[in-house]
Amino acid sequence: MIRKVTSKIKNYFPAPEVEAHCDGPCGVYDPASARIAAEAALSMTKKILALEPPAGGDAAAMAAYQNTMSRYISIKEEQTHIAKTELLVLWTDYFKPQHLEAYPDLHDTFWKAAKLCSAVKVGVSLENATALMEAIENIHNIFWGTKGREVAYYTAS
Amino acid sequence: MDDNLENINLGEFLLWALRLRWRFQVTGNSMLPLLQPGDEVLVNPRAYQYILPCPGDIVVAQHPSRPGLRMIKRVVSITDNKTYILKGDNPLESADSRTFGPVTAEQILGRVTSRFS
Repeated sequence: MIRKVTSKIKNYFPAPEVEAHCDGPCGVYDPASARIAAEAALSMTKKILALEPPAGGDAAAMAAYQNTMSRYISIKEEQTHIAKTELLVLWTDYFKPQHLEAYPDLHDTFWKAAKLCSAVKVGVSLENATALMEAIENIHNIFWGTKGREVAYYTAS
Repeated sequence: MDDNLENINLGEFLLWALRLRWRFQVTGNSMLPLLQPGDEVLVNPRAYQYILPCPGDIVVAQHPSRPGLRMIKRVVSITDNKTYILKGDNPLESADSRTFGPVTAEQILGRVTSRFS
């Protein structure tokens, strides 16, 4: 009898909400955001290394070269910073002490990945940019492992 | 810890009708398996007028740093300086006192007394 009444009340007048989570306003985490930024940084590293300076004294060609190079550098700086921020948020906000028990090298993994972001930002190293992608793939596996879900790693390029 | 939450009975229903119980709908997964998102509960806002929260109680509390955010959590312990450590039943999907620290007695808005179902 009461149940009938209460279920009607529930349907017509939902109660105000009370949060049983609050990791963030949304609680949505995904290492994919770090991966996308790191992938952009890898791409920019490749483009910087491949960009040929113009031959001769063509001022217009030189200006175009400088402009393109500056844009590549600027994007690499920006994207490595985004990758680092995304990793730090994941590390400090999502991961909990329980996860550390299951993945004892979690701190070391994130610390090294964050360091790699800095290295990719400061230098032009294909090796470091590739190592960062590998580190993020490893984090992807750990992250989805903590959720007990199998999510295949992929890259956009 | 895994004590069941009672379903609503006539007494609780009348108390709610008399506005001596508040009704809330749960969102999020941190109180699984006991409370699913969408479940509704009744809360006694005067539960701690004369007695103190006990470890094991399910409570609705005000988030210490986010005004207006109410959370449903379980009291796990009481600290020496009379603050309360709250935790979700599902620790892997819960931010609780491990992240926002202990809450004060004033921040505990009431005790969950039954399931409004």
